[in-house]
Amino acid sequence: MPIFRWGQAWGGAFRDLEREVDRLLQGVNLTFEGVRFGRQYPPLNLYELPDEYLLTAELPGTRSEDLELTVAGGILTLKGRRDELKDVPEEKFRRSERFHGNWQRSVTIPDRVRDEEMTAEFNDGILKVHLPKGEETSPRQIPVVESHDS
Amino acid sequence: MTDQPDSTRSGDEVPIEKQPDDSKALPTSDAPPREGEEYSGEDYGSEERFIFTPPIDIYETDEGLVLHADLPGVSLETLDLQVQDNKLTLFGRVSPPAPPEAQLTHCEYRVGDFLRSFILSDEVDHDRIRATLNNGVLRVVLPKARKSEPRRIQVQTD
Repeated sequence: MPIFRWGQAWGGAFRDLEREVDRLLQGVNLTFEGVRFGRQYPPLNLYELPDEYLLTAELPGTRSEDLELTVAGGILTLKGRRDELKDVPEEKFRRSERFHGNWQRSVTIPDRVRDEEMTAEFNDGILKVHLPKGEETSPRQIPVVESHDS
Repeated sequence: MTDQPDSTRSGDEVPIEKQPDDSKALPTSDAPPREGEEYSGEDYGSEERFIFTPPIDIYETDEGLVLHADLPGVSLETLDLQVQDNKLTLFGRVSPPAPPEAQLTHCEYRVGDFLRSFILSDEVDHDRIRATLNNGVLRVVLPKARKSEPRRIQVQTD
Protein backbone atom coordinates (compact mmCIF):
# COMPACT_ATOMS: atom_id res chain seq x y z
CA MET A 1 0.00 0.00 0.00
CA PRO A 2 1.43 3.35 -0.91
CA ILE A 3 1.74 5.69 2.00
CA PHE A 4 1.15 9.35 1.53
CA ARG A 5 2.24 11.58 4.34
CA TRP A 6 0.53 14.84 4.81
CA GLY A 7 2.59 17.71 6.02
CA GLN A 8 1.61 19.55 9.12
CA ALA A 9 -0.50 22.63 8.80
CA TRP A 10 1.18 25.88 7.99
CA GLY A 11 3.13 27.83 10.46
CA GLY A 12 6.47 27.79 12.12
CA ALA A 13 9.61 29.68 11.56
CA PHE A 14 9.81 29.07 7.85
CA ARG A 15 6.29 29.89 6.94
CA ASP A 16 7.37 32.33 4.26
CA LEU A 17 9.26 29.75 2.36
CA GLU A 18 6.05 27.99 1.71
CA ARG A 19 4.54 30.97 0.06
CA GLU A 20 5.21 29.81 -3.39
CA VAL A 21 5.01 32.14 -6.27
CA ASP A 22 2.54 29.95 -8.09
CA ARG A 23 -1.04 28.98 -7.48
CA LEU A 24 -0.21 27.35 -4.15
CA LEU A 25 -0.72 30.82 -2.78
CA GLN A 26 -4.33 29.80 -2.81
CA GLY A 27 -3.66 28.53 0.64
CA VAL A 28 -4.09 25.46 2.67
CA ASN A 29 -6.46 23.82 0.26
CA LEU A 30 -3.70 21.91 -1.47
CA THR A 31 -5.09 20.08 -4.39
CA PHE A 32 -2.91 18.08 -6.64
CA GLU A 33 -3.96 19.81 -9.75
CA GLY A 34 -0.63 20.37 -11.35
CA VAL A 35 1.13 17.72 -9.40
CA ARG A 36 1.47 14.45 -11.18
CA PHE A 37 -0.26 12.34 -8.68
CA GLY A 38 -3.16 10.17 -7.83
CA ARG A 39 -2.98 7.66 -10.60
CA GLN A 40 -1.48 4.23 -10.79
CA TYR A 41 2.12 4.31 -9.74
CA PRO A 42 4.28 4.43 -11.66
CA PRO A 43 2.67 5.72 -14.85
CA LEU A 44 3.88 3.75 -17.86
CA ASN A 45 4.28 4.59 -21.53
CA LEU A 46 4.71 2.06 -24.31
CA TYR A 47 6.37 2.96 -27.58
CA GLU A 48 6.62 0.86 -30.72
CA LEU A 49 9.70 0.89 -32.91
CA PRO A 50 10.43 -1.19 -35.99
CA ASP A 51 12.33 -3.86 -34.07
CA GLU A 52 11.22 -3.45 -30.48
CA TYR A 53 8.66 -2.19 -28.01
CA LEU A 54 9.91 0.23 -25.40
CA LEU A 55 8.25 0.48 -22.00
CA THR A 56 9.15 3.57 -19.97
CA ALA A 57 8.36 4.60 -16.39
CA GLU A 58 9.29 7.52 -14.18
CA LEU A 59 10.77 6.26 -10.92
CA PRO A 60 12.73 9.16 -9.46
CA GLY A 61 14.65 8.37 -6.31
CA THR A 62 14.23 4.64 -6.59
CA ARG A 63 17.49 2.79 -6.21
CA SER A 64 18.15 0.14 -8.83
CA GLU A 65 18.60 -2.43 -6.07
CA ASP A 66 15.05 -1.70 -4.97
CA LEU A 67 13.68 -2.41 -8.44
CA GLU A 68 12.56 -5.87 -9.43
CA LEU A 69 11.47 -6.94 -12.91
CA THR A 70 10.12 -10.41 -13.52
CA VAL A 71 8.60 -12.06 -16.57
CA ALA A 72 6.33 -15.05 -16.38
CA GLY A 73 3.54 -16.34 -18.56
CA GLY A 74 3.53 -13.34 -20.85
CA ILE A 75 3.21 -10.92 -17.92
CA LEU A 76 5.91 -8.44 -17.00
CA THR A 77 5.79 -7.44 -13.35
CA LEU A 78 7.56 -4.34 -12.05
CA LYS A 79 8.01 -4.02 -8.33
CA GLY A 80 9.83 -1.54 -6.19
CA ARG A 81 9.81 0.82 -3.28
CA ARG A 82 10.89 4.29 -2.36
CA ASP A 83 11.18 5.15 1.29
CA GLU A 84 14.27 7.29 1.66
CA LEU A 85 12.46 9.63 4.05
CA LYS A 86 10.98 6.96 6.30
CA ASP A 87 13.11 8.11 9.22
CA VAL A 88 11.82 11.66 9.12
CA PRO A 89 9.13 12.04 11.79
CA GLU A 90 5.76 12.98 10.42
CA GLU A 91 5.56 16.20 12.40
CA LYS A 92 8.72 17.46 10.68
CA PHE A 93 7.05 17.55 7.27
CA ARG A 94 5.89 20.86 5.91
CA ARG A 95 4.90 19.55 2.54
CA SER A 96 4.44 16.02 1.40
CA GLU A 97 3.51 15.54 -2.20
CA ARG A 98 5.85 12.81 -3.32
CA PHE A 99 5.04 9.14 -3.49
CA HIS A 100 6.53 6.95 -0.77
CA GLY A 101 6.13 3.28 -0.22
CA ASN A 102 5.91 0.05 -2.14
CA TRP A 103 4.41 -0.29 -5.57
CA GLN A 104 3.78 -2.99 -8.11
CA ARG A 105 2.47 -3.05 -11.65
CA SER A 106 1.95 -5.82 -14.16
CA VAL A 107 1.63 -5.48 -17.91
CA THR A 108 0.83 -8.03 -20.57
CA ILE A 109 3.69 -8.39 -22.99
CA PRO A 110 2.79 -8.16 -26.67
CA ASP A 111 2.75 -11.58 -28.33
CA ARG A 112 5.74 -11.39 -30.54
CA VAL A 113 8.29 -10.33 -27.94
CA ARG A 114 11.36 -12.45 -27.31
CA ASP A 115 11.18 -12.67 -23.53
CA GLU A 116 14.66 -14.01 -23.13
CA GLU A 117 16.19 -10.99 -24.86
CA MET A 118 14.49 -8.29 -22.81
CA THR A 119 16.83 -5.72 -21.30
CA ALA A 120 16.30 -2.78 -18.95
CA GLU A 121 18.19 0.41 -18.20
CA PHE A 122 17.70 2.93 -15.43
CA ASN A 123 19.05 6.48 -15.61
CA ASP A 124 18.08 9.78 -13.95
CA GLY A 125 15.03 8.10 -12.47
CA ILE A 126 13.72 6.86 -15.83
CA LEU A 127 13.30 3.13 -16.37
CA LYS A 128 13.41 1.83 -19.94
CA VAL A 129 12.55 -1.77 -20.69
CA HIS A 130 13.41 -2.96 -24.19
CA LEU A 131 11.17 -5.69 -25.57
CA PRO A 132 12.70 -7.01 -28.81
CA LYS A 133 10.19 -8.16 -31.40
CA GLY A 134 10.39 -11.74 -32.58
CA GLU A 135 9.44 -13.20 -35.92
CA GLU A 136 5.87 -12.76 -36.95
CA THR A 137 4.34 -16.13 -36.28
CA SER A 138 2.27 -17.23 -39.21
CA PRO A 139 -1.22 -18.25 -38.31
CA ARG A 140 -1.59 -21.99 -38.08
CA GLN A 141 -4.40 -23.55 -40.04
CA ILE A 142 -6.54 -25.85 -38.01
CA PRO A 143 -8.19 -28.36 -40.24
CA VAL A 144 -11.87 -28.75 -39.71
CA VAL A 145 -13.00 -32.30 -39.98
CA GLU A 146 -16.56 -32.95 -40.81
CA SER A 147 -18.11 -35.07 -38.19
CA HIS A 148 -20.53 -37.80 -39.09
CA ASP A 149 -22.71 -37.72 -36.11
CA SER A 150 -26.07 -39.08 -36.77
CA MET B 1 18.83 13.24 14.03
CA THR B 2 16.49 13.02 11.11
CA ASP B 3 18.94 13.75 8.41
CA GLN B 4 22.14 12.06 7.39
CA PRO B 5 25.15 14.19 6.72
CA ASP B 6 25.71 14.86 3.07
CA SER B 7 28.89 12.85 3.00
CA THR B 8 26.93 9.64 3.26
CA ARG B 9 24.72 10.47 0.32
CA SER B 10 25.58 9.95 -3.24
CA GLY B 11 24.48 12.49 -5.75
CA ASP B 12 25.95 15.19 -7.88
CA GLU B 13 26.45 18.65 -6.49
CA VAL B 14 24.21 21.12 -8.29
CA PRO B 15 25.67 24.56 -8.91
CA ILE B 16 23.34 27.31 -7.73
CA GLU B 17 23.24 30.41 -9.87
CA LYS B 18 23.18 33.50 -7.69
CA GLN B 19 23.00 36.06 -10.44
CA PRO B 20 21.36 34.41 -13.37
CA ASP B 21 22.46 35.45 -16.80
CA ASP B 22 19.55 37.26 -18.42
CA SER B 23 20.25 35.63 -21.71
CA LYS B 24 19.33 32.31 -20.15
CA ALA B 25 15.98 33.41 -18.83
CA LEU B 26 13.81 30.63 -17.53
CA PRO B 27 10.38 30.28 -19.11
CA THR B 28 8.65 31.95 -16.24
CA SER B 29 7.46 35.28 -15.08
CA ASP B 30 5.85 35.44 -11.70
CA ALA B 31 3.29 32.93 -12.80
CA PRO B 32 4.70 29.65 -13.96
CA PRO B 33 2.61 27.81 -16.53
CA ARG B 34 0.08 25.35 -15.28
CA GLU B 35 0.26 21.62 -15.59
CA GLY B 36 0.64 20.54 -19.15
CA GLU B 37 0.69 24.06 -20.44
CA GLU B 38 2.59 24.40 -23.65
CA TYR B 39 5.28 26.90 -24.17
CA SER B 40 7.83 27.53 -26.83
CA GLY B 41 11.21 27.66 -25.25
CA GLU B 42 13.69 29.76 -27.12
CA ASP B 43 16.18 26.98 -26.82
CA TYR B 44 13.98 24.78 -28.89
CA GLY B 45 13.03 27.07 -31.69
CA SER B 46 9.34 26.74 -32.29
CA GLU B 47 9.06 23.23 -30.89
CA GLU B 48 6.15 22.99 -28.48
CA ARG B 49 6.92 21.54 -25.10
CA PHE B 50 4.95 20.81 -21.97
CA ILE B 51 5.81 22.07 -18.55
CA PHE B 52 4.91 20.43 -15.26
CA THR B 53 5.00 21.29 -11.58
CA PRO B 54 7.14 18.67 -9.88
CA PRO B 55 5.91 17.18 -6.60
CA ILE B 56 7.97 18.15 -3.57
CA ASP B 57 8.53 17.20 0.04
CA ILE B 58 9.77 19.75 2.55
CA TYR B 59 10.84 18.75 6.02
CA GLU B 60 12.52 20.42 8.92
CA THR B 61 15.83 19.43 10.45
CA ASP B 62 17.87 20.91 13.26
CA GLU B 63 19.81 23.02 10.83
CA GLY B 64 17.02 24.20 8.58
CA LEU B 65 14.80 22.86 5.85
CA VAL B 66 15.34 20.17 3.27
CA LEU B 67 13.42 20.12 0.02
CA HIS B 68 13.15 17.10 -2.26
CA ALA B 69 11.71 17.45 -5.76
CA ASP B 70 10.95 14.66 -8.20
CA LEU B 71 12.56 15.50 -11.52
CA PRO B 72 12.64 12.24 -13.47
CA GLY B 73 14.68 12.52 -16.64
CA VAL B 74 16.55 15.61 -15.50
CA SER B 75 20.33 15.42 -15.32
CA LEU B 76 22.95 17.83 -14.03
CA GLU B 77 23.37 19.19 -17.54
CA THR B 78 19.68 20.00 -17.95
CA LEU B 79 18.96 21.43 -14.51
CA ASP B 80 18.94 25.12 -13.66
CA LEU B 81 18.76 26.14 -10.04
CA GLN B 82 18.67 29.86 -9.40
CA VAL B 83 18.45 32.07 -6.36
CA GLN B 84 17.53 35.63 -7.16
CA ASP B 85 15.80 38.26 -5.02
CA ASN B 86 14.60 35.77 -2.42
CA LYS B 87 13.20 33.52 -5.11
CA LEU B 88 14.46 29.99 -5.58
CA THR B 89 13.60 28.61 -9.00
CA LEU B 90 14.22 25.14 -10.31
CA PHE B 91 13.88 24.36 -13.97
CA GLY B 92 14.71 20.97 -15.44
CA ARG B 93 14.60 20.04 -19.08
CA VAL B 94 13.63 16.52 -20.08
CA SER B 95 14.32 14.76 -23.35
CA PRO B 96 11.79 12.29 -24.72
CA PRO B 97 12.66 8.73 -23.63
CA ALA B 98 12.16 7.23 -27.08
CA PRO B 99 13.61 8.12 -30.47
CA PRO B 100 11.48 10.43 -32.65
CA GLU B 101 10.34 7.66 -34.98
CA ALA B 102 8.78 5.71 -32.10
CA GLN B 103 5.02 5.39 -32.04
CA LEU B 104 3.46 6.02 -28.66
CA THR B 105 0.96 3.19 -28.40
CA HIS B 106 -0.01 3.45 -24.73
CA CYS B 107 0.34 6.67 -22.76
CA GLU B 108 -0.09 7.22 -19.03
CA TYR B 109 2.19 10.21 -18.64
CA ARG B 110 3.31 13.05 -20.79
CA VAL B 111 6.89 14.10 -21.08
CA GLY B 112 7.76 17.69 -20.40
CA ASP B 113 10.00 20.01 -18.48
CA PHE B 114 9.75 20.78 -14.77
CA LEU B 115 9.42 24.22 -13.22
CA ARG B 116 8.70 25.42 -9.70
CA SER B 117 9.53 28.54 -7.69
CA PHE B 118 9.64 29.32 -3.99
CA ILE B 119 9.96 32.45 -1.93
CA LEU B 120 12.76 32.16 0.61
CA SER B 121 12.35 33.85 3.96
CA ASP B 122 15.14 35.91 5.47
CA GLU B 123 15.69 33.10 7.89
CA VAL B 124 17.27 31.03 5.18
CA ASP B 125 20.97 31.60 4.78
CA HIS B 126 21.10 32.11 1.04
CA ASP B 127 24.85 31.74 0.87
CA ARG B 128 24.85 28.29 2.36
CA ILE B 129 22.10 26.75 0.24
CA ARG B 130 23.40 23.62 -1.39
CA ALA B 131 21.86 21.04 -3.64
CA THR B 132 22.47 17.58 -5.01
CA LEU B 133 20.81 15.61 -7.78
CA ASN B 134 20.54 11.86 -7.55
CA ASN B 135 18.46 9.46 -9.65
CA GLY B 136 16.15 12.21 -10.80
CA VAL B 137 15.56 13.64 -7.31
CA LEU B 138 16.79 17.12 -6.44
CA ARG B 139 17.65 17.67 -2.80
CA VAL B 140 18.07 21.25 -1.64
CA VAL B 141 19.32 22.06 1.85
CA LEU B 142 18.20 25.45 3.14
CA PRO B 143 20.14 26.22 6.32
CA LYS B 144 18.77 28.56 8.94
CA ALA B 145 20.63 31.81 9.19
CA ARG B 146 22.71 31.89 12.33
CA LYS B 147 21.05 34.15 14.86
CA SER B 148 23.09 36.63 16.78
CA GLU B 149 23.01 36.17 20.54
CA PRO B 150 20.50 38.27 22.41
CA ARG B 151 22.18 41.20 24.09
CA ARG B 152 21.26 42.28 27.57
CA ILE B 153 20.53 45.92 27.85
CA GLN B 154 21.06 47.38 31.27
CA VAL B 155 18.22 49.54 32.33
CA GLN B 156 19.37 52.17 34.70
CA THR B 157 17.19 54.17 36.92
CA ASP B 158 17.98 57.76 37.57
